[in-house]
Amino acid sequence: MSKKIRVLVAKPGLDGHDRGALIIAQALRDHGMEVIYTGLRQSPAQIAQAAIQEDVDVVGLSSLSGAHMSLFPKVVDLLKEKNAGDIPVVGGGVIPAEDIPILEEKGVKKVFTPGTSTDVVASYIKQLVYGTELTEPPSKIAHIGIAVKSIENSLHFYHNVLGLKLLGMEEVPSEQVKVAFFGIGESSIELLEPLSDDSVIAKYIEKKGEGIHHIAFEVKELAERLKVYQEQQVPLIHETPKEGAHGSQIAFLHPKAANGVLFELCEHKKED
Amino acid sequence: MGKNEYEIQKEKWEQDVQKATNRFPERKETFTTSSEKEVDRLYIPEQEDANYVDKLGFPGQYPYTRGIQPTMYRSRFWTMRQYAGFGSAKETNNRFRYLLDQGQTGLSVAFDLPTQIGYDSDDMMSEGEVGKVGVAIDTLKDMEDLFDSIPLDKVSTSMTINAPASVLLCMYIAVGEKQGVSKEKLTGTIQNDILKEYIARGTYIYPPKPSMRLITNIFAYCQQYVPKFNTISISGYHIREAGSTAVQELAFTLANGMAYVDAALANDLEIDKFAPRLAFFFNAHNNFFEEIAKFRAARRIWAKIMKEHYGAKSEKSWKLRFHTQTGGSTLTAQQPDNNIVRVTMQALAAVLGGTQSLHTNSRDEALALPTEESARIALRTQQIIAHESGVADTIDPLGGSYYIEQLTDEMEAEVEKYLEKIKDLGGAVQAVEDGYMQREIHQAAYEAQKRIEKQEDIVVGMNKFQLEEEVNPDLLRVNERLEMDQKESLKTIKESRNQAEVTTCLDRLRRAAQTEHENLMPYILDAVKVYASIGEICNILRDEFGEYTG
Repeated sequence: MSKKIRVLVAKPGLDGHDRGALIIAQALRDHGMEVIYTGLRQSPAQIAQAAIQEDVDVVGLSSLSGAHMSLFPKVVDLLKEKNAGDIPVVGGGVIPAEDIPILEEKGVKKVFTPGTSTDVVASYIKQLVYGTELTEPPSKIAHIGIAVKSIENSLHFYHNVLGLKLLGMEEVPSEQVKVAFFGIGESSIELLEPLSDDSVIAKYIEKKGEGIHHIAFEVKELAERLKVYQEQQVPLIHETPKEGAHGSQIAFLHPKAANGVLFELCEHKKED
Repeated sequence: MGKNEYEIQKEKWEQDVQKATNRFPERKETFTTSSEKEVDRLYIPEQEDANYVDKLGFPGQYPYTRGIQPTMYRSRFWTMRQYAGFGSAKETNNRFRYLLDQGQTGLSVAFDLPTQIGYDSDDMMSEGEVGKVGVAIDTLKDMEDLFDSIPLDKVSTSMTINAPASVLLCMYIAVGEKQGVSKEKLTGTIQNDILKEYIARGTYIYPPKPSMRLITNIFAYCQQYVPKFNTISISGYHIREAGSTAVQELAFTLANGMAYVDAALANDLEIDKFAPRLAFFFNAHNNFFEEIAKFRAARRIWAKIMKEHYGAKSEKSWKLRFHTQTGGSTLTAQQPDNNIVRVTMQALAAVLGGTQSLHTNSRDEALALPTEESARIALRTQQIIAHESGVADTIDPLGGSYYIEQLTDEMEAEVEKYLEKIKDLGGAVQAVEDGYMQREIHQAAYEAQKRIEKQEDIVVGMNKFQLEEEVNPDLLRVNERLEMDQKESLKTIKESRNQAEVTTCLDRLRRAAQTEHENLMPYILDAVKVYASIGEICNILRDEFGEYTG
């Protein structure tokens, strides 16, 4: 499970225009982040101090008075001095385009110009915090789910004929299914047997017959990934992770997302 | 049968027009359209209508819905007053003298943020901000440089200064004295509206109560010694910029206005002595007709408040005079030339709403401080409206429009609901302390942002009709050396002044601040005259009054 992102929204310098800062703060909260707003007139030292004390993941600076060139890099430098150079600093306000590369060169991670939508800012921050983990493609096929009328009757083929090792069998009452896992390389085959006529698997078999039901991918940061997919308007069956077998977190994408193929995302607890 | 109210009012207006035009003739003997049809001074209902007198009245007559002067812009256009100030006092002085040479009679001074918050340029808090958004003033010396060779009896000066308004006004008085111009002759305006600083603009220093004391000190002092100076400009501008709706802008501004009146009355000032020196400052945003209705409703509500609620007797107390600035937050960083069009429509709304003076924003304000070229286009925009469009040739040309009158009535009704609510909360000062207005504004701002992001509201060039590649215009740069130079010159002043005098004056100021009924103005005036700095003076008051922390 990913932790909540913590953001410090700060107003360095003396200008009192905090409409933008307040809107960003509220929008980031609506995106599920914890936001600490410093209030007006904070010195770079106060901001760096607050960032460290509050243990934030990112610092957002807002300035509309033209003082950004001296104040923004100062916050970056002070964080470095205090061994907190890993906290990224982003900024916005009335900032001329030609200042942006200079600020970035001085260590400001990103400058948002007026008119940037709050969603863009929020996804940028998520990317920044979860880093490559979010954009990292699924690491492997976790399993392939096959709908069967009876696990009992299928055991012979998988176990005796193919010689795959049965890893386990369990009932998932919430889904009204019984599942059996056979190991195959780094993946597995999951047989799904309906326990009642109301089960999704029963309906699937009724409609399409026995056969491949879904393919599951192993991913990291499932909860955040779902939010990002949602923002990209990927059709989802589950918008938040559910409890899966062996204490894993799972979620299904809608088959509309992938030419009619049902994909599951799984995140297994990290070992150790 | 005797005359009805309508006829009486109409005759009174006609007499007022006569008096006014005898003193200042109208701009032309006859006004005509391009087809040479004569344009009347005023258009009125064909049939006599008692409702008309109650709700609209004739221009220059209660409740002033159609304007505060009998002839409005037929005699004189609104004052075109562009806010300016940058860098050092000497640079700004050059700019002022240039503007005066071009025939401008009013100056409008923008101060940098350290000055506005009462910090010297060498204060740690001032770093990076000196001379950025306006001129840096540390001591009387800077003020002398700012007005060098500008006779203060010949110009009116508007100063955007709030928390330290008393200090800057005293410096202005001191410069006048050095020029041989007595205080009685000085004209101009100080913004001096602290309540909206807590609500929206952020350049507060002290908590509300001592701040209100400083404001009433200024009212009392000026009533006696600087009678021609507008002692406050009660501002909705910044409330709107912070994201309020038009109704909130008007309601909160008038509520603040009432708080200042209450504070002055509580200090035994006479309403008809100070109320005529109250001025207002509004925003002109995009929704064309609603903005016009807002200005018309503002006059009507304030007139009723002054006459009926406070019992003011003088007509001068009833009249709401206001300055307008076009809406900075409506301007986009994308395709900045489009902003010229926005500003034009906003300025037109202000003129059709009957403003007394107007600042038009420059197209590049979402990117930086305006360049000289952008500032010139902004001024030209007003000149085109004044001289080419013909909208100033008849009084309140939209009066009587079903839509405008309905909007004006609705605006009034909604503002009154807010005023009632604020009264229930214990008045504007209490509502500000509780954060009520701040919350209302923030909510409105967030809703507006969401509408833009969902494209329910279209902002041309920003969320629709974008360009692939934006062109970067040339922008104004403030010289980074300026901060060092300013610190250097402050050091020189501090070394060359009579330190014993400064200490004495500051001690006296401190003792006066500790005595609740003492007017601080004379003490501040003494201190600035011996070159005590703005930071030194404000720090004394910080010690005594404490600081507001938001």
